[in-house]
Amino acid sequence: MAAWDLTVTVEELGPEAPPLKVSVTSDLHIGGVVLKIVEKTQIKRDWSDHALWWEQKKQWVLRPSWTLDKCGIHADARLSFMPQHKPLRLRLPNGTTVLLRASFSAPVFRCVMGICRILNIRRPEELSLLRPVEEKKKKKDKSPEEVYDITGAPVSPDSMLTLSNGMPAHFAQSPEYEAVYKILSISQPAPAPETIAKKYRSSNLVEKAQVNSRWLDSSRSLMQQDINENDKLILRFKYYTFHDMEPKTDAVRLTQLYEQARWAILLEQIDCTEEEMMLFAALQYHIGKVSLTDPQLTSSPAMDDLDSALQCLELKLDEESGSSGTDMLDTMAPAPALHDYLKIFRPKRLTLKGYKQYWFTFKDTSISYYKSKEESSREPIQQMNLKGCEVTPDVSIAGQKFCIKLLIPEPDGMNEVYLRCENEQQYSKWMAASRLASKGKTLADSSYSSEVESIESFLAMQRTNPGATSAQTDESINTHSLVSPRYQKKYKPKQLTPRILESYQNVAQLSLTEAVQRFLQIWQALPDFGISYFVVRFKGCRKDEVLGVANNRLIRIDLSVGDVVKTWRYNTMRQWNVNWDIRQVAIEFNGNVNIAFSCVTADCKIVHEYIGGYIFMSTRSREPSETLNEELFHKLTGGHEAL
Amino acid sequence: MMDDIDAMFSDLLGEMDMLTQSLGVETLPPEPPPSSTTKEMNFSIGFTDLNASLQELEDNDLDALMADLVADLNATEEKMAAERSGTADAPSSGSTLATPTLNDFSFPSPTAAPAFMPTPAPAPAPAPAPVAPTASTSPLPPPQMSKPSKEEIEAQMKADKIKLALEKLKEAKVKKLVVKVEMTNGSAKTLMVDERQTVRDVLDNLFEKTHCDCNTDWCLYETNPDLQTERGFEDHENIVEPLSAWTRDSENRVLFKERKDKYAVFKNPQNFYLWKKDKATLKDMKEKEKEMLLEENFCGTSIIVPDLEGLLHLKEDGKRSWKPRYFLLRASGMYFVPKGKTKTSRDLVCLVQFDNVNVYLGKDYKNKYKAPTDYCFLLKHPQIQKESQYIKYLCCDDEATMTLWVTGIRIAKYGMSLYDNYKTAVKKISVATSWTDKINSNVSTPSPTPKAKAANGHAPTPAPEPAPQAAFPPPPLPSKSMLPPPPPDPVLPPPPPASMSGKGPLPPPPPPSSMSRGFPPPPMDDLPPPPPMDDDDGEMPPDFLPPPPPATGFPPPPPCGGGALPPPPPDPCLPPPPPPVSFPAGSSDGGLPPPPPPPPPPPAAAAPRPAVRKAGPPPPKRTTPVSSAPAGPDLMSELMLAMQKKRGQQ
Repeated sequence: MAAWDLTVTVEELGPEAPPLKVSVTSDLHIGGVVLKIVEKTQIKRDWSDHALWWEQKKQWVLRPSWTLDKCGIHADARLSFMPQHKPLRLRLPNGTTVLLRASFSAPVFRCVMGICRILNIRRPEELSLLRPVEEKKKKKDKSPEEVYDITGAPVSPDSMLTLSNGMPAHFAQSPEYEAVYKILSISQPAPAPETIAKKYRSSNLVEKAQVNSRWLDSSRSLMQQDINENDKLILRFKYYTFHDMEPKTDAVRLTQLYEQARWAILLEQIDCTEEEMMLFAALQYHIGKVSLTDPQLTSSPAMDDLDSALQCLELKLDEESGSSGTDMLDTMAPAPALHDYLKIFRPKRLTLKGYKQYWFTFKDTSISYYKSKEESSREPIQQMNLKGCEVTPDVSIAGQKFCIKLLIPEPDGMNEVYLRCENEQQYSKWMAASRLASKGKTLADSSYSSEVESIESFLAMQRTNPGATSAQTDESINTHSLVSPRYQKKYKPKQLTPRILESYQNVAQLSLTEAVQRFLQIWQALPDFGISYFVVRFKGCRKDEVLGVANNRLIRIDLSVGDVVKTWRYNTMRQWNVNWDIRQVAIEFNGNVNIAFSCVTADCKIVHEYIGGYIFMSTRSREPSETLNEELFHKLTGGHEAL
Repeated sequence: MMDDIDAMFSDLLGEMDMLTQSLGVETLPPEPPPSSTTKEMNFSIGFTDLNASLQELEDNDLDALMADLVADLNATEEKMAAERSGTADAPSSGSTLATPTLNDFSFPSPTAAPAFMPTPAPAPAPAPAPVAPTASTSPLPPPQMSKPSKEEIEAQMKADKIKLALEKLKEAKVKKLVVKVEMTNGSAKTLMVDERQTVRDVLDNLFEKTHCDCNTDWCLYETNPDLQTERGFEDHENIVEPLSAWTRDSENRVLFKERKDKYAVFKNPQNFYLWKKDKATLKDMKEKEKEMLLEENFCGTSIIVPDLEGLLHLKEDGKRSWKPRYFLLRASGMYFVPKGKTKTSRDLVCLVQFDNVNVYLGKDYKNKYKAPTDYCFLLKHPQIQKESQYIKYLCCDDEATMTLWVTGIRIAKYGMSLYDNYKTAVKKISVATSWTDKINSNVSTPSPTPKAKAANGHAPTPAPEPAPQAAFPPPPLPSKSMLPPPPPDPVLPPPPPASMSGKGPLPPPPPPSSMSRGFPPPPMDDLPPPPPMDDDDGEMPPDFLPPPPPATGFPPPPPCGGGALPPPPPDPCLPPPPPPVSFPAGSSDGGLPPPPPPPPPPPAAAAPRPAVRKAGPPPPKRTTPVSSAPAGPDLMSELMLAMQKKRGQQ
């Protein structure tokens, strides 16, 4: 067979170097070609990650046993010999950017698997890569953002060694790497309100649909999609079905998911009510506080959880058995109580006008008051059991007003009572006691002191200058950092703080993991959760409409009003297919319901992949040992192009 | 030193017994003056006062109550026994400790009519040989192991005593209520519930007592006549909690009935999660699809609340008019669209969040509040018992809508618990049916747990009924009150009154009739015995728990069943017969119980199993801590002192 020269560019020889000419025959297999190239470069190094890229055809030549002829490579081909794994700048859901080595030759689906293995995120099928929004060049003045380089991490850490604290071994190589792991696994401090406002864009349905046009094609490689070395991509959770979440092993996954959810809420990418926003804010505050104040936690989240779980268990055992004697004795010790002069005001009673001073005692879950301290041995004027009551702060630092509003349920309604304290310390104690009592806990409860502390820190928050824009550093935080721009505009920080505080009392006792999980749960319970939007045009319709793709259904939405027009569930779906020539998706449902639409804002491959992806997600079993069925995924999402 | 502490402990325990005992007597019997130490609630639900409650108790109720008490105590004791080092025989010690309780209750008054006394005397008949020995005479049987040294044993015993003392103190603090639960047929059951019990526990108990079919629709229902509201308790709720919110003069009632809407969402999830679809589609929903819906909405990382929305009428705070508003249900609460706004999330106004309120059905509100329809529900804090501006009243167009909303709100409020409750309920049925099968094959009693067995003291067949009762020491009762077995379940036609006292043979119980009425499993505890004729006329001191009728006076079980029924099979689960019937009535104050008399020969039909029922001679040492313990400071401090000393020693 006649020999001919194959032109190959080798990156390692430098950009200026002329391409190598390798003499080959058409029946030479690719492995032989690679061998010849390596010999010709006369460079001694590990070439195992290198492969041939055929630029004109935009494809990799990866099968070593195929001959040049079979691959269709002739003398006119210009091949490049380059590493398959190259550095990629990756923006994570928490907003930080890491530089890591990703596969440019494997389909994006597998590339993401590799990335997730490095980052220690389980269930990589739920994530995918997005192209970044094209930034306007004029904003050059911005200082370059920090990029954490972890290109030294092995690209395929097959045996996932993890340290006792849940950190994968490849992060233990240096303090810098450990620091990166912390960034990955611990939620970020609250952003400055300006940052939120800057990132914010009005989010109507069309805007929301735009995001989804940027997903990469899972069945093709990065190179095939014009992504080059050192390019920037965004890693995101794409499919909103989070399978088999396990706080102990999912530190990074949980944190990143939380961050994605938090930004979705701060930027109003998902709608929520004011009450929900306040609860989200309270949880963010709490999560931020707990991750900062507990140094142990930062070092080893998993261990710490285990510890606290153990502690919890011990406590429970003690409670249940009561056998250890000491605990019983402790509970027998005289119950702690609060005593002080406070002022009381009851708006409903006409006899009491304004605040009047009495001697108050707080014991168990009840407040009693007496005319004076001397009379406290007698029958109280009134005794109020706070169990089940609503406690609301009514505080103004500037006005030195520290009131506790109590709504105490009674058979004939709610008894409204205001208690006025003299100063912050007094207020914090009585407020904490009231809150615990409302949940049926007494002062003896172990959470009392932390409750007092958190109230004090909230008061401190109000004392700080509302104009301060610093991010969450220690105790102080601008509450505007916790809500979306809409509420930043609607409320001043000092109006916002008490509202957040109100929600905060319901979550203040949660551990870090619990708080993160609660946040995710509330997020997932939002009516619009997990819907990815596309602007489409239904066959036979003249105007654009919106198609919402969720984990269990497709939703047809009126573009102008935003109302749901129709819902189809996947389990009534008989088949769907894509006509790649006219770029149209056709779906048939039970009962001879047929729909077809073309996609306006995104390629129909993306819509097709979303639907197929969700069907793939629903096939996953609950068994943790299950391996990912890549083949099935591509079958469901690939389309003819992938085959 | 060791001995000192030992002695001290015995004293302390004795003292505690005295205290609890006196309380126990005080709370239950109607006459004694209210104890000042009993601050905790021990009042009865469904009765205006304690006197009335006990007066109203029918015999069978009292029996059941009694059994409950004993079972309760037993559970604690058994738990303790189990905790103890393996040396002690758990069941036996449990029984030893438990029986005295009963004893104390049975002997509160010296006025016991001697007329009844003879009956117990012949009691030896049913006592089985093996039982008595197991029931050791000492409340704390020394460990039988030979290995540990004497000191170790002593130390162990002491530790046990401390445990016992502490456990008792704890037990005594538990809040308890007497509840009257009304059945659909107008009859009622009276139960003792404590704050640790969930509604599920109570339902299980009622299943056993009522022979109902145990399906998942049964629920405990609260009605409030003032507000004209109803609410089904959720199975995971602690029953005492909602009941504690009732006012003392409350006319609220607790009903036991079937409610289709209780778990409708799990049986037909499509009606709630796909409510927008047309009815035909929903009706034809396949089981597989239903499962899928449940999986989707209840098995994910977050519970999904049905996306309800629609026009409801709201009665504004304190106003009389009902205004239509467009409402939306979200996991975080109930919202409405304010005037002139759209239903986007950010514009919604929150009507109420569910943390502090429960959802109730309003009855006949068209009349009461001029509501547009009678399909009303309301949201209020459980403490609120009367009309108030803090109650949110809502009115739906039809019943289906109301069920939709009420269920939706329950899902939002209780989340996973609701589904767990349902799964438990379903499991219960399968257990119950398997038991029923067994019963049908005449094998055993249908009670799944020993505790339950003890609780209702039933036997598998009507005939042996008296036998278990015989296990208890016959109480000295005035002859009038000593009605033999509890009156028949109200469902049954009252059998003709027969001779009253225990001397004559019992009239044959009416099992046949009950059977013919389609009673499912073999009749249980409250079956056949002739109804007490005069128990309702107040003469008898109601403070006596009418003790179970002594078995001895009656014909042995087989004959009575023999009428129309096939002879009852020997029942292995029968309670151990009462070994010593003859112990002195006055022995209830401290001291070691007398050793049990030699066990009498077992009755033909009854082969009691000691492990299940308490049988032993009641060492009259301890009382059931029915009421809150006095927990006097000196007692506590002494105890603490002793414990500290003891710890110091080791």
